[in-house]
Amino acid sequence: MTDALLGVVIALPVIASVVPLVASFWREEIGWYVAVVALVLNAVLIGSVVRSFVSGGILSHEVGGVAVPYGIELALDGLSAPVLVVIAVVSVGTLAYTRTAGPRSNSFYSGYLLLTAGLVGVTVTADVFNLYVFIEITGLGAYALIASGGDGRSAYAALKYLLVGTVGASLYLIGIAYAFVATGTLNMADLSARLADVGYGDTIVLASFAFIIAGLGVKVALFPLHTWQPDAYSASPYGVAGYVSALVSTVAAYALGRVILTVYTPGFLTANPVVSSGLIYFGALSIVAGSVLAVLQTDVRRLLAYSSVSQFGLIVAGFGIGNTASVFGSVVHLFGHAVMKGALFLTAGIIAYRFGVTRLDEYAGVARRVPYAGAAFAVLALSLVGVPPAIGFVGKWYVALGAVRAGETAVAVVIFASTLLTLMYVARLLDRMYYGEATEAVADGGGGTRVTRGMVALVVLASVAVVALGPSASAVQETLALGEVLGG
Amino acid sequence: MTEVESLRPLAAVAVSAVAILGILAAHRRPNLRESVTLVSATVMFGVVASMVPGVLNGTVYVTRLGEVVTGVPFVLRADALGILFAVLASFLWIPTSLYSIGYMRGLDEGGQTRYFASFAGALSATMGIAFASNLVVLFVFYELLTVSTYPLVAHDETDEARSAGRKYLAYTFGGGVAVLAGTVLVYVAAGTVGFSAGGIEGLTGGAGTNVARLAFALLAGGFAVKAAVMPLHSWLPDAMVAPTPVSGLLHAVAVVKSGAFGLARVVLDVFGPDAIAEIGAGLPLAGLAVFTFITASVIALRKDNLKRRLAYSTIAQLSYIVMGLALLKPAALVGGLLHVPAHAFMKLTLFFCAGAIHVETHTDRISRMAGIGRRMPVTMTAFGVASLGMAGIPLLAGFVSKWYLLAGSFSAGNVVFAFALLLSGVLNIAYFWPVVYGAFFETREGSDEKPVIDANIGGYWSGVADHYAGGAFTDGGHGDEDDGGWKKPGWRGGEASPFVLVPILVAVGGAVVIGVAPATVYFFRIVRLVVENVTGVAV
Repeated sequence: MTDALLGVVIALPVIASVVPLVASFWREEIGWYVAVVALVLNAVLIGSVVRSFVSGGILSHEVGGVAVPYGIELALDGLSAPVLVVIAVVSVGTLAYTRTAGPRSNSFYSGYLLLTAGLVGVTVTADVFNLYVFIEITGLGAYALIASGGDGRSAYAALKYLLVGTVGASLYLIGIAYAFVATGTLNMADLSARLADVGYGDTIVLASFAFIIAGLGVKVALFPLHTWQPDAYSASPYGVAGYVSALVSTVAAYALGRVILTVYTPGFLTANPVVSSGLIYFGALSIVAGSVLAVLQTDVRRLLAYSSVSQFGLIVAGFGIGNTASVFGSVVHLFGHAVMKGALFLTAGIIAYRFGVTRLDEYAGVARRVPYAGAAFAVLALSLVGVPPAIGFVGKWYVALGAVRAGETAVAVVIFASTLLTLMYVARLLDRMYYGEATEAVADGGGGTRVTRGMVALVVLASVAVVALGPSASAVQETLALGEVLGG
Repeated sequence: MTEVESLRPLAAVAVSAVAILGILAAHRRPNLRESVTLVSATVMFGVVASMVPGVLNGTVYVTRLGEVVTGVPFVLRADALGILFAVLASFLWIPTSLYSIGYMRGLDEGGQTRYFASFAGALSATMGIAFASNLVVLFVFYELLTVSTYPLVAHDETDEARSAGRKYLAYTFGGGVAVLAGTVLVYVAAGTVGFSAGGIEGLTGGAGTNVARLAFALLAGGFAVKAAVMPLHSWLPDAMVAPTPVSGLLHAVAVVKSGAFGLARVVLDVFGPDAIAEIGAGLPLAGLAVFTFITASVIALRKDNLKRRLAYSTIAQLSYIVMGLALLKPAALVGGLLHVPAHAFMKLTLFFCAGAIHVETHTDRISRMAGIGRRMPVTMTAFGVASLGMAGIPLLAGFVSKWYLLAGSFSAGNVVFAFALLLSGVLNIAYFWPVVYGAFFETREGSDEKPVIDANIGGYWSGVADHYAGGAFTDGGHGDEDDGGWKKPGWRGGEASPFVLVPILVAVGGAVVIGVAPATVYFFRIVRLVVENVTGVAV
């Protein structure tokens, strides 16, 4: 029974997304309430699905009763369960934030629900073409939300994301088309068996892999495919930036991991050492390039965007290394980064709405005026650096452990150095926030009508969670049973 | 060794962590806020001290708290080495808190809530380092110590302080990265990172010599940053821009000693003296330590700012500890470990005196301190006593540890180390004596230039006499205001606030007691127990 819920958790937000648009004939401002009901209910359903995975093992459901491999399969295993949980949590949290931070138009919440549906769909689908469909839905929702800022900059950023993102999705489509030509199936489990039959060294298999990775790499915003991200994050409203930064690249990275590990399997990586090295070194390149570019930024949102490039480099490198420790590290970091980055954007939003400041030098002395938000920002940023026992450290530990075990010394060095690289921009940010003469805008106390105590409480809660979840992460390692994901 | 499950290690760590909340809450009531600090310091010391008799008898107190990461338990363990550090730090927090009150109020400093809260956090992290049962838990608290001491270093919020804070962060996080890398290597090589007296079984065998050497280099190098071994030391003199009680406790006792403590754990409980001798890592480390203490002592000769001179003295004295650990012989280990508390009491006295001078007379430069013994007799006497201890004069703390270090160097066969120790003793006298002499036996008008300090290196003398002639100079913040000859205080005090004087007396008293009757002091007995557990030899 619960496996049918896998379909419901996608369908519910989709259906709910129509309601605000239809209801706008009668009432404005009803969008938020519809979204709350739908997403809280969705979160409860997700909770029950995950609980049934924890107790019963992998879940699987064939949509419409049509048998695999012709029908679409939905599944939940150790790789997707944490992503689903983080979607549930962040979607509700950000929704609470946008109640005051806005925008509050009905069309905004329709887009929000559609985006959530797309995210959930990417996570639970077990069919590569279905994954493409949901990636496009996610993209459409993201483009619309980014443009909801209403000014020219957001429109430009959304258009840039649309063009680059569509190219990426198309590359992915070409990739799965080649895979389909080679094997005749689109179901992931089936595909993995048939690809092994075709032979991992075969040109068409390699070509399909390359296109898929390139396409998803655009969506994950790895260096040098990341150029849409800084504009998108800095031009959209803070609630949107938080949501998109927390989840859109996260599910794209999850999709990347899913394709590498389930469809192509670690066997493919071992058979083609060039491929696994390529993935690992691209990840390492992102780590370094993202951090260096982040240090050069003056706008806080662009700094956080380049920081994401760096963090996703770590995650992709973990998938590329492919052993149990590093994959677990990537999953932990996917989860942790989503919470950290989302909350960092929301906190930046609190500061921006209160004082109207977005640039690093304008941040001088801000923390003295908003002590709780400042403390939350500091905790989240230090967790990103990798200060234990927060969750940012835990992901890094496992990926580094996997790298050393696999004998990948260069990447291990980069991963260890990433602490210092992240520290470079975090230290600048924190030093500026806590010390330094406040500018006039800050010293005046700010106009802050759009900041409520609830918003501050939300980010403080996120920062506490980030620290508390660190030690508990290792407790879920057995439940996730990633060894099965890797072996099967 | 019997293990006993107990909440006391956790309590020691948690007491001041909880106190942070109390301090933040009492933000607007300074007396209440300060009492929170004092109460938690006393409670922490009480908890730690209550474990000492059991540890001396061979009991080890353990609190199990789950796992940090898979395969690495989160366990706080009060064994002999851990108790040594914990008792020292928690005891010295009490006088330092009293001193902080006197100092901060005497200078009417801002940001006191942040100061006291960060201090409590730093002590909590120090207890965590002391009681860590494996490298990962040690790393966790090591990084938390960095995070909690950064606001203390950058406290003044001047450009100089902020830049010193950023340098501190860069160096200590860099050290942390090296420690993490070494920890991962040890974990992959040996399958465990737990401390076990005498070394982890099979670490060098399983890994091969080169990997073991790399792991040792990373771990030792990472801890050496906080232990201010050259060339990784340069954060420490810059961090002297912090308020003096911060410089005192954290940089003479907690932060730098945690680096030395981490090194002790690596040498004694991760690799073990035998394994280190096997991979040949002891001699390079000892050589680096000797280089550090000779060079730092020479540099200290030329520093006019008293706190900077004390900073270089700290760098030098810490390398005594490093050398003792690196020589690997039981006597040397005893000397090195005993120097941890010995140096702590002596250096804390010196810093407290420097701070008292700063509060009362706003003088930071030695060249301006001629005749100050008249104004602050008790302070300068304590300074003199502590200086003698640093040089290794008998009946003071420094002598006992130096004796064992010398014995250890002779038994290691390398006489060079013994000579270096004796040379550095002479240098110690050379850079402390002028301060004491100038304070008691010189007057403002009568003091003259000291070529060693004032002349340019290379001999070109341009007459750098302006700071003696009363010419204008900047002092990094507090100019020299109290100029017209030192006034003798009345016999009842007025020399300095009792909050400042009592801690000075406590610290110097401790240094004297350790020197006069070492066997009665728990530190000595704990150190001998540690070395016996590791090497099997009773010293």
